[in-house]
Amino acid sequence: MTDVSEKLLIVEDLSTTFATAGGPLPAVANISFDLGRNETIGIVGESGSGKTVLSRTIMGLQPRTNVSVTGSVLLDGNEMVGASEDFKRRLWGTEVAMVFQDPMTSLNPVMRIGKQIDEALRVRLGMSKQDAKARAIELLELVGIPSPVQRYKAYPGQLSGGMRQRVVIAIALACSPKLLMADEPTTGLDVTIQAQILNLLDELKERLHMSVVLVTHDLGVVATRTSRIVVMYAGRIVEIGATRDVFANHRMPYTRALLESSPKVSNASHTRLITIPGRPPNLLKLTQGCSFAPRCSYATDKCHQERPELQAADQPGHSFACWNPLPTTRGDSAT
Amino acid sequence: MLRYVIRRILMLIGIVFIISVGSFFLIHLLPGNITAVIEGPGASPENQAKLFKLLGLNRPIYEQYFVWIGNILHGNLGTSFISQTPVVTTIGNALPIDLEIMFLSQILAFAVAIPMAMRSARKPDGVIDRFFSAGSFTMLSVPSFIVIILLVLFVSIKLGIPHTGPSSYVSLRGDWIGNLESMALPAITLAVGSFVVYFRVLRSDLIATLQEEFITMARSKGLSQRRIMWRHAFRPSSVALLGAAGVNIGGLLAGGFVVQYLLNIPGLGYTLIAAINTDDYLLVQGIVLVVSVGVVLINFFFDFIINIVDPRISRE
Ligand SMILES: Nc1ncnc2c1ncn2[C@@H]1O[C@H](COP(=O)(O)OP(=O)(O)OP(=O)(O)O)[C@@H](O)[C@H]1O
Ligand code: SF4
Ligand SMILES: [Mg+2]
Repeated sequence: MTDVSEKLLIVEDLSTTFATAGGPLPAVANISFDLGRNETIGIVGESGSGKTVLSRTIMGLQPRTNVSVTGSVLLDGNEMVGASEDFKRRLWGTEVAMVFQDPMTSLNPVMRIGKQIDEALRVRLGMSKQDAKARAIELLELVGIPSPVQRYKAYPGQLSGGMRQRVVIAIALACSPKLLMADEPTTGLDVTIQAQILNLLDELKERLHMSVVLVTHDLGVVATRTSRIVVMYAGRIVEIGATRDVFANHRMPYTRALLESSPKVSNASHTRLITIPGRPPNLLKLTQGCSFAPRCSYATDKCHQERPELQAADQPGHSFACWNPLPTTRGDSAT
Repeated sequence: MLRYVIRRILMLIGIVFIISVGSFFLIHLLPGNITAVIEGPGASPENQAKLFKLLGLNRPIYEQYFVWIGNILHGNLGTSFISQTPVVTTIGNALPIDLEIMFLSQILAFAVAIPMAMRSARKPDGVIDRFFSAGSFTMLSVPSFIVIILLVLFVSIKLGIPHTGPSSYVSLRGDWIGNLESMALPAITLAVGSFVVYFRVLRSDLIATLQEEFITMARSKGLSQRRIMWRHAFRPSSVALLGAAGVNIGGLLAGGFVVQYLLNIPGLGYTLIAAINTDDYLLVQGIVLVVSVGVVLINFFFDFIINIVDPRISRE
């Protein structure tokens, strides 16, 4: 482990609770992890496990009403939790930027895409109109958009989903952020485009020396692109560790279920999904036990009564939360 | 976009054609000897003969229509036998007054409604929003003639400016300050009605837009709240506003006569009432035609603007 100050991002005991009509909804609870410079970490979990809420909370981008955040997010030394909008605004774009989940809704439909890139450059970096335009076209080229000069004037509706996601990436990269939060950057795109976008992100990360938080529900996506993986369930970390360890020596039954539901890495054309039986828990009605218990074939009485805390596994940096962990000798899922 | 515009223009031509046929028959549906009816009692035979020729009454009805429409296209709506003035001249004097009131009232309404809606939408159900919404709702329930009476009372008693003699209207040509003074009351009255609609429509659309993902995205770029409201939220939220403005302005042109009548402003509405009272059918016909075409054109114009503002619409 390197010195703490080397870390770009330190998340500690972070919780996000929404005040809803049905009561407090703990979308993210007690999350801790860190991220080094130029590192990519994967955050995986089923739909509704709190990935988007977590990544927005890290950025300080949660809705401004009916939400309470506790814990700490140190981003390059800046505390984001409880910071004013003005303070965060100075970090957004330049320190941290986000690639949004859905390219169909995250671009302003009535603004030319060029303007949407320009704007960040002009407002945040104080560039002149001409410089910003030139840079925007460069960025469009960088993210692999053909004939960027013409596309500069296009409206989002004139572009395909894959092209729009590239635009979203171009916007995120515009002010050269140190940390890129990529929230399922390829969901809803077809398989070949998915690979293109992910490879593009990889390449840009190397070229621009960024750190990346890569959010996905598909373990296959993070297998080769991340150094570490965070597995989330019902707003909590249930397993965290080096990518290799999580694939080969995962101890938490939910991680295994996720792996089995993911299209196998070695067999990308075989995309049949085995979904995890049962449904994610209602966050408004969580029990005191393990939140995976209703769906877990290893569940015992204890699982229903007491929540397992994260405990260290054999490998350094690898921990899991389970009363009845899988045996360590498993190693068949990675390949 | 071009195809869309061409389609709309063809539609426009169709609608104007229907309106012209309607106005044409407005006269022809009058009972009895049409020339006598149009000219009223005491019509001289010469005048009757003139009108007979103008309308081409000796020809088949469809030819009569073409003669009539041909005259109109040459700017000839006939000459009123009541006032002996060409209808075009009378309308030409009244219409600019309508346009000016409309323009002033709309500028006022937008100038108040837009910033208020922006402020309200930032914190829906906040103190300011509740205050604005309650205020606008109250205004919505007050009819325009009450607004006028209250305004007249306020202006003449509180501010001590005498108003609404029979000739209170001052033409723009001479004294523009006097003109603005005479236009202030009608413009404010019409603005009150428009403003309420604009505020409510824009407020609710802004609130919906601010929930959109692209607003969060704009926030994540580090843009100021102000910029997000004006550059990102306003335009996509203004489609319903423009639609409402189109309907509303058309409505003002067609229905501004209450205000004009009460405040003695000799615009089209005022002139129309006078024409009806004096059985000046040619003038009635002319005003109906001009107002109908005007309403259609206004709607067409706003449709067009909406398409520029939101390019999604013509694409779909
Ligand atoms: N503004 C909000 N108010 C109330 N509840 C919310 C809000 N935003 C998210 N949630 C809830 O928080 C939980 C986590 O949602 P989140 O969007 O983070 O899931 P996710 O892991 O990103 O899922 P997906 O893969 O579908 O994107 C969900 O139960 C969601 O309903
Ligand atoms: S704690 Fe129990 S219920 Fe939860 S994952 Fe482990 S075995 Fe399953
Ligand atoms: Mg999500």
